[in-house]
Amino acid sequence: MNTSTWTQLSAVMRLELRKTFFTRRGWWIYILAFAPALLYLIHSIDSVRNHEQRQALAAANPVALYAIKQIQVGDTIEDVEKQLGPPYFHLTFKRREFEVRVYRYTNGDSDFAFNFFNGKVTRIDEEDRCNLQKDSAIFATTFQFFYLRLAVFFGCVGIFTNLFRGEMLDKSLHFYLLAPMRREVLLAGKYLAGLAAAVVIFTFGTALQIAALSWHFDKGVVPAYMHGTGWTDIASYLGITALACVGYGGIFLAAGLLFKNPIVPAAVVLLWEAANIFLPAALKKISVIFYLQSLCPLVASPDKDMSPFLRLLLSSAEPAAPWVAIGGLLAVTALVLTIAGLRSRKLEINYGTE
Amino acid sequence: MTPPALVNGTSMNGASAGRITFDNVSRFYGEVLGVNRVTLSIPSGITSLVGPNGSGKTTLMNMMAGLVRPTRGEIRVLDIPPTDPHRLCRAVGYATQFDSFPKGLTGFEFVTAFLRLFGYDNARCEALANASIARVRMGEAAHRKVAGYSKGMRQRIKLALAIAHDPPVLVLDEPLNGLDPLVRSETIALFREFASQGRHVIVSSHVLHEVDQISDQVILLSNGYVVAEGQIQGVRGEIQDQPMQVFIRSTRPALLAARLFELNHVVEARLAPDASAVLIKTKDADGFYRALNQLALGGIDIEGVMPADDNVNSVYEYLIGGGEAAR
Repeated sequence: MNTSTWTQLSAVMRLELRKTFFTRRGWWIYILAFAPALLYLIHSIDSVRNHEQRQALAAANPVALYAIKQIQVGDTIEDVEKQLGPPYFHLTFKRREFEVRVYRYTNGDSDFAFNFFNGKVTRIDEEDRCNLQKDSAIFATTFQFFYLRLAVFFGCVGIFTNLFRGEMLDKSLHFYLLAPMRREVLLAGKYLAGLAAAVVIFTFGTALQIAALSWHFDKGVVPAYMHGTGWTDIASYLGITALACVGYGGIFLAAGLLFKNPIVPAAVVLLWEAANIFLPAALKKISVIFYLQSLCPLVASPDKDMSPFLRLLLSSAEPAAPWVAIGGLLAVTALVLTIAGLRSRKLEINYGTE
Repeated sequence: MTPPALVNGTSMNGASAGRITFDNVSRFYGEVLGVNRVTLSIPSGITSLVGPNGSGKTTLMNMMAGLVRPTRGEIRVLDIPPTDPHRLCRAVGYATQFDSFPKGLTGFEFVTAFLRLFGYDNARCEALANASIARVRMGEAAHRKVAGYSKGMRQRIKLALAIAHDPPVLVLDEPLNGLDPLVRSETIALFREFASQGRHVIVSSHVLHEVDQISDQVILLSNGYVVAEGQIQGVRGEIQDQPMQVFIRSTRPALLAARLFELNHVVEARLAPDASAVLIKTKDADGFYRALNQLALGGIDIEGVMPADDNVNSVYEYLIGGGEAAR
């Protein structure tokens, strides 16, 4: 590549970066990217507030965890009151033939709800204080089932299909085609600009989510985690987010170039990616999400409340090795971009039919 | 400057250097005709494409600039085929009719940003942008956002971009739309300057009297076909089925009208409302001018003779129809 080509590439990127980051049309992409971080922040605030409340309640109604754990299903109200004292909260629901009561106790960390039916314990619900393990599992599930499959996916649809199709609709693509520049350079410049925008927006979103989720832990928890697998996990999540942008970006740039209405191929890809967990092992591997999930530090298990019928449809495939997953994704992206590059040579300006 | 006439229907081989040539070019958009069987050889100078909406003007221009490829036939711009966009884009500056710009840019940023796509370094881009913006007299507004420009300013900034890389071929789609009279005359002067430097200036317009003023040659289009081309007087002379109109000023117009009406080829003689001139319609221009000389020698005082219908408007009406010409 000579100097002139580099100048052209950077000129395309400069123009496109400006448009991609600051377009009014793209506000919803920021919402997709940053809304989960906001939810995690709310979760963290709620968690801190809950913990403080429980600490206060435990101070007013002290009860030992050991004593709580002694209570069994079948014990009477009298047994419970004798063992634990009065609850910090109780609820009674009476009818002529039955009585339901709920007693709540806390040791300052966890909250216990004893459910009584006609004076006997029928169920004990324990609500743990949020811990790193639990929050990591929540994050892994949200990341894989919402962030990658929906937020990054639709964000890339918005960013990358707009690079060509948006300019066709705005009637401004001809400015590029009137420059003595190879179409492949135009395509590369647009892709790199879109990729830079998508990677910055979504990896920043991922980083914010991790920060928002972890700030409420006690002093020492996060440094200990960082000392262990923390940095590797965070780097993996950021890298996977960037790889998702690489893969989906390539697909949707090509879709914007090849199809008049790129929403149709986007919907097809979305269905295919969404159906991935139900696909046979061999077909699973023909998707972006399979390789991305293979790279995740934690495997997100399907919802435990999922119906048995859906569980029957699930199939498992061995996760791909990291080098296969990364290499496969990059190879597929390169192939799709090559096809798009060949198509771009025949690109014409025909705004009238757009 | 007297430009060479357009060559229609002749072989392009060897004659295409320094010209824009279309050899039996057709372009279809699906089943819709853009242009059909167009063969042209356009010399340097100002060439106007004239025709109603949908006649194929923009399609011809897009093909010259390489934005659209012909379905059939061959195009060469100064011997460069559109399959070589790298050379073609350096040779052609195109101001399209599309009134859209990348958002958020000032006029100066718009021109420099797209000049960078030519591979020039920043200093050169800025120098070229400043020069072209000054040529279209947009210096004061150059650092304002394009979104705040008037229609005329947007037209001029597009023109600035088209001329910035100093192309030998300028293709301008409706370039005078939205310009006020002063800027319009300045812009026309700029076209003339370009043409006088031996460049091609291809202009499309609906405004026929303007085309008449600025063009060295015209190409009349209708429904995707070229219906006439060449220097406007030449085109008029080719239209045999419409009598030639001549306006003659004389001290004795009534006598002159009576004498001329005796000639077989004069089909109409009409006195001007102020009785100072006579309008003659004749089917034999040569015979008419010979007879007029005889009358002048015979003592009828002739103050001035002026063709009344060798302008684009008349030619357009004769060839395409009055309804279309009104567009």
